[in-house]
Amino acid sequence: MTAVRCVDLCKTYRQGEEDIKALDHVSIEIEEGGFVCLSAPSGGGKTTLLNAIGGLDKPDSGEVYVAERRIDNLSKGELAELRLRQIGFVFQAFNLIPVLTARENVEFVMQVQGVPAAERGQKALEILEEVGLKGLEDRRPADMSGGQQQRVAVARAIVSRPALVLADEPTANLDSKTSDGLMELFRELNDHHSTTFVIATHDKRVMSYAKRIVRMLDGRIVEDISQDAV
Amino acid sequence: MNLVLRLAWRNLWRQPRRTWLTTGAMVFSNTLLVFMISLQFGMYGLMINNTLQAYTGHLQIQAPGYIDDQKMRQTVADILPLAERLRAEFPEQSIAARATGFALVSSADRSYGVAVVGVEPGYESRVSTLPGLVSSGRFLEDNDAAEIVIGAALARILRVDVGDELTLLGSGKDGSFAAAVVIIAGIFDSGLPDFDRSFTEIPLGLFDDVFYMNGSGHHVVINNGGISGVADLKTRVEATVPPGEELVVHDWDALQPGLQQTIKADISSAFFMYGILVILVAFSVLNTQLMSVLERTHEFGIVMSLGLTPGRLGRLVLLETAIMGFMGLVLGAILGGLVTWWLSFNGFAYPGMEEMASRFNLPARFYPEVTLISLLSGPVVVFLFTLLAALYPALRLHKLHPVEAMRAV
Amino acid sequence: MHMLAVLSRLAWRNLWRNHRRTLIMLLAIILGTWAMIFMTALMRGMVSQMVADGISSLPGHVQVHHPDFRDDPSVANLINVPDSEIAERFNAANFRQWASRVRVPAVITSEYDSRGVTLVGVDPALEDGLTFVDYREVEGRFLESADDKGVVIGRKLADILNTEVGKRIVLMSQDPDNEIADRGFRVVGLFTASVKAFEEQFVFAGKTTTQNMLRIGDQVSEIAVLGDDYRDVEAEFQKTLELINDGVTVQRWTEVDRFLGTMLGVMDGFVLVWIVVIFLALSFGLVNTLVMAVFERVREIGLMLALGMRPKDILGQIILESLLLLAIGLALGSALAWATVQPIRDGIDLSMVSEGMEMMGVSSVLVPELLLSDVVLANVVVLILGFFASLSPAWRAAQYEPIEAITKV
Repeated sequence: MTAVRCVDLCKTYRQGEEDIKALDHVSIEIEEGGFVCLSAPSGGGKTTLLNAIGGLDKPDSGEVYVAERRIDNLSKGELAELRLRQIGFVFQAFNLIPVLTARENVEFVMQVQGVPAAERGQKALEILEEVGLKGLEDRRPADMSGGQQQRVAVARAIVSRPALVLADEPTANLDSKTSDGLMELFRELNDHHSTTFVIATHDKRVMSYAKRIVRMLDGRIVEDISQDAV
Repeated sequence: MNLVLRLAWRNLWRQPRRTWLTTGAMVFSNTLLVFMISLQFGMYGLMINNTLQAYTGHLQIQAPGYIDDQKMRQTVADILPLAERLRAEFPEQSIAARATGFALVSSADRSYGVAVVGVEPGYESRVSTLPGLVSSGRFLEDNDAAEIVIGAALARILRVDVGDELTLLGSGKDGSFAAAVVIIAGIFDSGLPDFDRSFTEIPLGLFDDVFYMNGSGHHVVINNGGISGVADLKTRVEATVPPGEELVVHDWDALQPGLQQTIKADISSAFFMYGILVILVAFSVLNTQLMSVLERTHEFGIVMSLGLTPGRLGRLVLLETAIMGFMGLVLGAILGGLVTWWLSFNGFAYPGMEEMASRFNLPARFYPEVTLISLLSGPVVVFLFTLLAALYPALRLHKLHPVEAMRAV
Repeated sequence: MHMLAVLSRLAWRNLWRNHRRTLIMLLAIILGTWAMIFMTALMRGMVSQMVADGISSLPGHVQVHHPDFRDDPSVANLINVPDSEIAERFNAANFRQWASRVRVPAVITSEYDSRGVTLVGVDPALEDGLTFVDYREVEGRFLESADDKGVVIGRKLADILNTEVGKRIVLMSQDPDNEIADRGFRVVGLFTASVKAFEEQFVFAGKTTTQNMLRIGDQVSEIAVLGDDYRDVEAEFQKTLELINDGVTVQRWTEVDRFLGTMLGVMDGFVLVWIVVIFLALSFGLVNTLVMAVFERVREIGLMLALGMRPKDILGQIILESLLLLAIGLALGSALAWATVQPIRDGIDLSMVSEGMEMMGVSSVLVPELLLSDVVLANVVVLILGFFASLSPAWRAAQYEPIEAITKV
């Protein structure tokens, strides 16, 4: 089964006087259990592609399928439901809801999903420990470092075991040790639960964990190589 | 426009929605205030005039104590010469003498207890609206004629009409039996059944005979035309007729204490409501300006490190508020003025007003007038409170440290 | 339900994020709510008293008269059913209280003066608690039976007539054949009334004595029925109609005194207008606060949308936040209103403006009347209107595109 399939996606932004082609006839297929890195310089289109896959952004043309269901023509409500149930997100910045503690942020998605309080509390504690935030459960985002915040975001993205995790520069604010820990965690989930990962990054270290690396430039896929994990 | 003014103006429009919402609160209150104050003070004026012109007048000269007890014996001696003297002294005023008593009036069929007032037929119409309300027959003419004017409701009860005879039975000044037979000269219709049922007038000369008054009466009424200048007039009248054991001069406030107090009671409740409105607007402004100052902490930090004093920044915030307040004032006054102006042609009424109005000598439909005072007093107060509310955010700037402020996002 | 829990927590936390803004808004809401309820309690108190005093001067919630009695309240218009028969019917009907009386205009004369009054012939056993006269507060004594030979007059009238308990006065009226009907009485008691005008207007004598004096046999002019609640006298009205309806007019008190009747309705209208006006004054600040709150949180709203919250959840969250703010303000404001009414629940002395209050038909002690229904009304109206006022900012928040919102700096 394919986890993600994009067919001939185009997306143009207008920035000032200029039209910027963020996606230029992009087609890509990602198998279930894939671990894909999208790599591109800034403005190369990787975030746009990630957003299109996550249903956050509608392409100007082309088709997007997630778990073999076409999503680019879904309504806002259906997209919200899709994101809630099937996709975990880690954004580049501003990942957390400021008024909620680390634990509450992790629980947030589960709570919206309707997971019982005891269960989601337990899961949140476990996952926070896994990402190395034991003892910081009750801090609010403002009282945490960038790396800590990012780990909370990762914990939230994976806590409800989504089939697909989309991450945009997840290690941007992390030191190398933490990055490694995080990637190990991703790989473990990928191996044991066949969670599909699509990660936009230009961090070489992250790429080294990938099973497949897709390079983009000016909205086009210029290279697509599979590699064995380290 | 100078630079500071331009800066203040631009700052306001950084958040147009917020500025409009805050201005909107002012416009709303100002419109309401203009309308309410026009209505209120217009009504008071009408209430005072209608009540005083009806009968009471603006000043009365009475025997001491009469105002409290209104006993028949508390008389003013030689009342006609006194009235004449006052008329000579104050030619511009409307002045008339009266005497009041109670009697049982009887027709062939019926009897009824009423107030009987002796009036000077030639002068009464200048101090009272009652002669003008005579709807059938005519008002009294001859000071000594055996005539009476009664209300329409009383005429119905007694089953009489103009030209019919009535018998008056009562007691005179000395307590002796007073009786007379009079012809109905006219019937008035005031629209107030209770009044029409219980009030009658006869010529003062006849009253003197019937009630054994010996030339005395109960009061001389002076109608000043309006309430302005009454205090001055009272002083002048007192100079002519020195108050003492025999006579006192009362102004309308003493004669109709209920009137002034009704107005006072109404004013205090109205001012309570206005006050609440104004304070709520002030809160709205306080909130907006505080937010606008907090948002600009970073920016203020920069300009302060460039050497601008907190005092000048505070003045900028006050100026912004003043501009907003001024817009609220102008728009509110215009809108309120338009509403009132429209009502001054079309009239204002609300359900139940008719019953209430007749109780206070007011018409059932009211036509408020736009005056400069009603137009500006409310909005100006709102404006001042607006500035007052902006003081706190403006003064907060003094606590700002440039370096810390710049670190704020 | 779980969504509501999520939203409530977010709304609550967000409310206290900018605690200064929230506190200012909260203060405004508390003040507004307090003003709504406190003012309403005072006005209610005033109107209730006006109505209560008014009803006590009628008195009776449902009244039966001859059809012409209203226009001509005299001996000519008596009820066509003999009093003994009335007693038989009404006693069997199990009213809370009822009384029949004779009520005619009369002239009262002492050796010094005379006055027009309303003579009320009563059966003291039936009237206790129905009339405005408190038997136990009477100087001397109240009447003892329907054929008591004395009269009870008001203290004020006694002053005017220079009479006192034990002295004789003469009451003069007419019989149905228009013959003078008069009779000497001994004053046995002086009553006081909260409305001073009553002390001048009403004179009480025994019913049978009055019937004899007026030569009307066993007839009366008025039947009065007292219900449990003056606001709802429909049951008594219907029951009375069944007992007597031929050749008489049966009226609720609201019809007997239209001024008082409309007062209650006008008051209800006023309460609602007042609540809405205050709310509108508040609404600008409320919407402003919400607009600011949404504006500040664009990014996290985007995040929540990205994480799979639906737009309607965002809408709900903002509205919930607004309602939460209002609910806290309403609760505190209502509590404050209750607390401020407590120290004055026995009444505020308004003697400074007592005559004005009397002109409005109110005695000079104002007892605030805090009705639960008014508190509920204020709270419900504000919540409902608050809901609608929050719709626009909440709707805007829900319309954000997650990706645009999240990337907005």
